[in-house]
Amino acid sequence: MSILIEGKSGTRHLLMGNEAIARGALEAGVHVAAGYPGTPSSEIIESLAKVCGPRNLYVEWSVNEKVAMEVAAAASFAGLRSLCVMKQNGVNVASDFLLHLAGSGTRAGMVIVPCDDPGALSSANEGESRHFARLVEIPLLEPGDFQQAKDMIKWAFALSEQIRNPVMVRSVTRLSHASGNVVFGDLPAVDAEAYFKHDGPALDPLQGVMLSYPVALKHRGQQEKLQQAVSLFEQSPFNTYEGPENPELLVITSSACCLYSTEAIHLLGLEERVGLLKLTTTWPLPPQLMENYLARTDKILVVEEVIRFLENEVKVLAAELAPRIGIKTFFGKKDGLLPTVGELNPDLVAGALARIFKMDYEPVAATYAAQAAEMAAKAPGRDLTFCPGCPHRASFWTIHNVLEMDNRQGFVCGDIGCYSLAMLPSGFSTLKTLHAMGSGAGLASGFGKLKAFGMDQPAVAVSGDSTFFHAVLPALVNAVHQQSDITLIVLDNSGTAMTGFQPHPGRPVDAAGNPAPQIDIASVCEAIGARVRTCDPFDLERTERTLLEMLADTPGVKVLVLKQICALSPEKKAKKMFEMRLDESICLGENCGCNRLCTRIFKCPGLNWDAAAGVARIDEVICAGCGVCASICPAGAISKKEVA
Amino acid sequence: MHVFGSNELVEDVLKTDLCVGCGACVNLCPYYKTWRGKTARLFPCDLPRGRCHAYCPKAEVDLDELSRKIWQTTYDGSPLGNHRKIIAARAGEKMLPGAFQAGGTVSALVTVALRNGLIDAVALTDRQGLTPVARLITDWREVVNCAGTKLMAAPTLAAVNEAVGQGRRRLGVVGTACQMTAVAQMRTNPLEEEDFSDPIALAVGLFCNWSLDTRQFQQFLSAKIDLAAIRGMDVPPPPADILVLTTDTGTVEIPLSQIKPIIAQTCFTCPDMTAEFADVSVGMFEGRPGWNTVIVRSDKGAELIEKARGEKYLETEAMPEENIAHLSRAAAEKKARALRMLMRRNLLNNKNGRHAAVRMPTEIVERILKG
Repeated sequence: MSILIEGKSGTRHLLMGNEAIARGALEAGVHVAAGYPGTPSSEIIESLAKVCGPRNLYVEWSVNEKVAMEVAAAASFAGLRSLCVMKQNGVNVASDFLLHLAGSGTRAGMVIVPCDDPGALSSANEGESRHFARLVEIPLLEPGDFQQAKDMIKWAFALSEQIRNPVMVRSVTRLSHASGNVVFGDLPAVDAEAYFKHDGPALDPLQGVMLSYPVALKHRGQQEKLQQAVSLFEQSPFNTYEGPENPELLVITSSACCLYSTEAIHLLGLEERVGLLKLTTTWPLPPQLMENYLARTDKILVVEEVIRFLENEVKVLAAELAPRIGIKTFFGKKDGLLPTVGELNPDLVAGALARIFKMDYEPVAATYAAQAAEMAAKAPGRDLTFCPGCPHRASFWTIHNVLEMDNRQGFVCGDIGCYSLAMLPSGFSTLKTLHAMGSGAGLASGFGKLKAFGMDQPAVAVSGDSTFFHAVLPALVNAVHQQSDITLIVLDNSGTAMTGFQPHPGRPVDAAGNPAPQIDIASVCEAIGARVRTCDPFDLERTERTLLEMLADTPGVKVLVLKQICALSPEKKAKKMFEMRLDESICLGENCGCNRLCTRIFKCPGLNWDAAAGVARIDEVICAGCGVCASICPAGAISKKEVA
Repeated sequence: MHVFGSNELVEDVLKTDLCVGCGACVNLCPYYKTWRGKTARLFPCDLPRGRCHAYCPKAEVDLDELSRKIWQTTYDGSPLGNHRKIIAARAGEKMLPGAFQAGGTVSALVTVALRNGLIDAVALTDRQGLTPVARLITDWREVVNCAGTKLMAAPTLAAVNEAVGQGRRRLGVVGTACQMTAVAQMRTNPLEEEDFSDPIALAVGLFCNWSLDTRQFQQFLSAKIDLAAIRGMDVPPPPADILVLTTDTGTVEIPLSQIKPIIAQTCFTCPDMTAEFADVSVGMFEGRPGWNTVIVRSDKGAELIEKARGEKYLETEAMPEENIAHLSRAAAEKKARALRMLMRRNLLNNKNGRHAAVRMPTEIVERILKG
């Protein structure tokens, strides 16, 4: 059983930020939670799924973020508190519904938790969800520590019910994935009843229809709700100030930057000279609270990650308040003091403070930096690479070779998942485009129509199994209907592998682990009208032959499903299929190909190059026993024996 | 002879459309592959010199050096190349009629060579669908399966390399002029390997004016005819000026003017019509259907002809002088055309470190161009 429901009220627990958010939702009495997996957000839904039975909770991994938000909204309409979770760009996917939802309003509390990834540690973008809150005009909260991560979720549910609209609580990687102490509150009773009242007066928020019509009227109502939120923000206990009454500099910050700023001020010993305003209600800003702190000093530094949001809002407010608080000098991103890309850290904030205070500050001593650089150069290169035994390595080996053999400068439109790594040498640099979920198939659909303009290059798209359901389907339907000429390769590794094997519609279980109907990708593609083939990517010869034939076949939409379970899947239980053996007397070493085919080109981490002996070796500890290297060794030095 | 590596081969031949897809670079290493008439390199290789480049009939072919090594004489640019005699021939009574195309001389020679153990295996050109593929054959009874012109460039030499890699020597090979040039380069140990032994025991060349781009030809045909129904194809001697396709339901004639645009562009740089580096070269006998023109070039070739005749696999006759003169004129014209194309594409005798496709003494160039 999980600590999230066993922990008693008043006790203190070390929780990951995402667990704190989940506990906050449980303390708020959430009954429906939906999301789509995506780092750094996935543990929230996973934590809730583990306790769904005892907490009378319905949890689902939805097919995509838009559907997740719709599922959560339905619960709210029917009187149940609901939570909707996604990574930053998931909000882009859901935003069309969100815009309309903000117009129609909600009933029971509905909280949307996007987890942003400044620095794109696990993303193909460093997009921001904060701007969506302003765009669709819903309140934005940003917890600054782990306790707040829990408490503000609960507060957000109450706020949502007060204004009858969704509330966004934004987290970031360093909050979601770091851990801190959290004191638990009470868990409410678990009973709940759902009923969607829809036959009352049309405009009654609790009994009428849920529509954004009449638009202007509802929109005005929505903006009034936002004003209500602002008045609540003025009194929020979560906005705090530390520092002297009249500081030389006021630092305004939010989210994980609260921690960086606190540390930076301490590093420079500026506690007596700098004031720190930690804002958690970041949109719309509460003007009275802001006036109170802005009035205390002339110099203001805004500390936030990636592009300016808070800085601009503060400046607008300061301009409006100027007659009362005077003209201020602002520091932040506009003046280049802080970067507009990547994550911040205490050193970067301290560097900014030091420049404002004209202090000599060196976050890392020059001699130490030089030494570190010297040592780093000695460390062996560690490419981002597929795991040993990863089906994607085998798949991209074949895809790469087939495209070369096909000899028409064909290319692969990439998509989001572990297989995005195929843009690197690990996947033989096969991906030539990489954008949003499902965009590989969409781009291919477009490329596949350019024959009329003389383009003869085959357009291939790849998709993971989860991605297939998320956003590839519409693109595939488009390609079939538009008679585009594409080959889609579905890399089906039986789960949402990159984020931790969350189930998807192609799996026979749901988020709670209960049996669920499984939707067969090949059958779906056939039903759409595509020509479908299925192969085991570990069977290199057959896969190569099949794909060569598909590319040479008459134009149209072709789908190749490459089915092989992820090497790390819990279902595999780390069991090896084959015991691998390498005969050193046969290995050609540097004379293989033009030099070490297996360790220079194929590069599975389970294969090592023994420079002294001049032969390749199999690292039995790392080797996953997939058997593929036996097929790629041109000398036949590697053999495989089935493990009983 | 300048031998470079795989990267130069890609830059100078593959990327410039000079590659004819003969298969000489395939099966030497894991990187060169052939598929549907095209040769591709899968991964880069940094070796400064390689057999792939050394064997290529389109990269730094020094005809004078090759002639000295194969024929122990200089390259003189004569239209039909080094040869002993030119005869007319056709399959003898021991060969089953109907199983071969034209005179059947090639099938007869290969059959005799295999039956008598002059060679252990032979690299021939088979078809997969309509696509020519390399086939290594060890049983003489299977030779006829590969008979008949394919018209498209074929990766036949991939089978030679595969067989050599398996340790086979005493190999036979049947191929076009460019393939015979590659085979000649294979025989001269261009990388000066210490344990080298010539693996080729018999090279039978085919007269060749051009070959078709495999993919364009198939695309062209697929618009006219069901590819699966094609059983054979032939270009009858002038003045027919047609391509004849044999199908299950009869023959289809296509004017040559229609297929000329899909001749592989690299063929216009080829100065060799009669496979000058083969032991024996075979082509059609213009004006005499069912017979071949045979150019006997080496001792080995002469001995094989004699054996085949003696065993009644081959029937021979003297070749009329006027036919030889006519063939010679056609070959000389092809040489001159090719040299002009090579010069126009800046591929002949390049200097200052720039790579050439073909090299030969300048006085020979002048002689050929003068006609």
